[in-house]
Amino acid sequence: MPAAPLRWLNPCLQPDDLAMKPRDRVLMALNHETPDRCPMQVSFTPEFVTRLRSEMNLGGDKTHNPHGGGNTYELERALGEDLLLTSVGWANSYYQDGKSYVDEWGIGWKSAEYTTPFGTGTYTEIADNPLADDRALASYSPPDPTRPELYAEADWVLQTFKDEYFIVGVTVTTIFETAWALRGYERMLSDFALKPDLAEQILDIPYRYHLTAAKKLTQMGVDMIWLGDDVGAQNAMIISPKMWRRFFKPRMANFIAELKAIKPQVKVAYHSDGNIYPIIPDLIEIGLDVLNPIQPASMDPAHLKQEYGDKLCFWGSVDEQHTLPFGSAADVRSEVLTRLKTLGKNGGLILGPTHHIQLDTPMENFWALVNTITQTNYRDL
Amino acid sequence: MENLIKEIHTAVMEGESNIVQEKVREAMAAGLPAARILNEGMISAMSAVGKLFEEGEYFVPEMLISARAMQAGLVLLKPALKEADIQSTGKVVIGTVKGDLHDIGKNLVAMMLEGAGFEVIDLGTDVTPEKFVNAVRENKPQIVAMSALLTTTMSAMAATVETLKSAGVREQIKVIIGGAPVTDEYAHMIGVDGFAPDASRAAALAKSLLAA
Repeated sequence: MPAAPLRWLNPCLQPDDLAMKPRDRVLMALNHETPDRCPMQVSFTPEFVTRLRSEMNLGGDKTHNPHGGGNTYELERALGEDLLLTSVGWANSYYQDGKSYVDEWGIGWKSAEYTTPFGTGTYTEIADNPLADDRALASYSPPDPTRPELYAEADWVLQTFKDEYFIVGVTVTTIFETAWALRGYERMLSDFALKPDLAEQILDIPYRYHLTAAKKLTQMGVDMIWLGDDVGAQNAMIISPKMWRRFFKPRMANFIAELKAIKPQVKVAYHSDGNIYPIIPDLIEIGLDVLNPIQPASMDPAHLKQEYGDKLCFWGSVDEQHTLPFGSAADVRSEVLTRLKTLGKNGGLILGPTHHIQLDTPMENFWALVNTITQTNYRDL
Repeated sequence: MENLIKEIHTAVMEGESNIVQEKVREAMAAGLPAARILNEGMISAMSAVGKLFEEGEYFVPEMLISARAMQAGLVLLKPALKEADIQSTGKVVIGTVKGDLHDIGKNLVAMMLEGAGFEVIDLGTDVTPEKFVNAVRENKPQIVAMSALLTTTMSAMAATVETLKSAGVREQIKVIIGGAPVTDEYAHMIGVDGFAPDASRAAALAKSLLAA
């Protein structure tokens, strides 16, 4: 696997950008200081990667899985990204080969093809839930999170890139999302109201698995652990804040505390789509450092900075629902600059799209995103 | 008698399926008209659920269990409704568009439409434009409702509208759309009859389109 830094491949990078190591840039930003420029993290769907590889004349025959699994980080480094992500957990079940498959959790998957102006792509989604029947729980055994081979990629990433880059251990779909895949989405949501004891038992399965994985990754030396569970819909939370506080807050609090006990300086990020305004103070209270992805159509970034900017850092925030796929390159540039002046004021921001770059994104919009982030120095704003 | 209706109303709002069934049985045995049990006991309860959802008091789990409680009561009530020739509010064909497998939003809209007295023909997920056209021809709905979670699949809404047009059935129906990236502006752009930001408002939109 290539180990040499490939940042020179990005023709748009200026000599100034090379002055600071990506890792130091991120550490400064997360320390609420302003580095030379804002750190960048961008992920892509496999189909966009194929387009981008061809655009950049980069090789790579492997399917790029945004959730992990065989990524060589060639693209990320060539673009000038500052964080490299390595994932252990159920989220790696997305984007496996085949039209339908069953993952190691017993969860069934199917795929659907979609069409964009730039070609067709495929999404994989959950089709079968091993714990749909209440009685299945008693005999269910989840996969073993202590298998050494699960950590081989993280080990390689750390050994190869740790000096240069900020390394993130990814254990997203931490509790809720894996639980709903095991149980079925609507069934799980109903359980919170009708069968709370059963819900608690099901939530504990992914909770224990991902906690074991996150602790191991922390011990191995990652700089940040990324947790995630979508509890926000476009305009409101999916479950009530009260329900979140009952089922998720105690588990999340313990999760974060166990990681910080291993390594006090490890950062913890949390991802939830949509609007989760009501639980942000709770997340800060239990020790969260970074909130992702800040969907601007759901939560106002400037308002978040004003209210929580001294206690919380932010990651993401460039609109993947409107600006990137449907706006112009000028719109993308303008949005990035606005974020730098608001959400990124005095540091505290890692810029990137709110979700994996999708196939419907025009290439000029993608480059407007990357170039505006990598070519805008904080001191020039 | 009045108490029974109130108890059904409360049990639907609280998502208590067993109580709804028990009280619907009692109400039917007491000779209460099926239409009254439906309208005053269940539809009005689901309308209150929708209002609480819009106000941020109820969330998805509460809406789901209320809808299930209503469905539990409706199963018992259906033969009597048929016998009394009670017509549904209207007929809706619903599905997530081609390429999109995310169905929670679509399911909630279907539940709230049923809660408002509509007959719902649910085509499921990843529904091709041709399937929508066939369902319109077979079922003669007044409304077609489409859902998409992602920008990449949202464009299949426009493609479906075009297919409905070229099949010559677009004028027979109202088309409504929803889903995370969908906006009023987009609805206008692709020439559909309405957009709603959540399940409760989707049911209200469907009712208003029939009244128009």
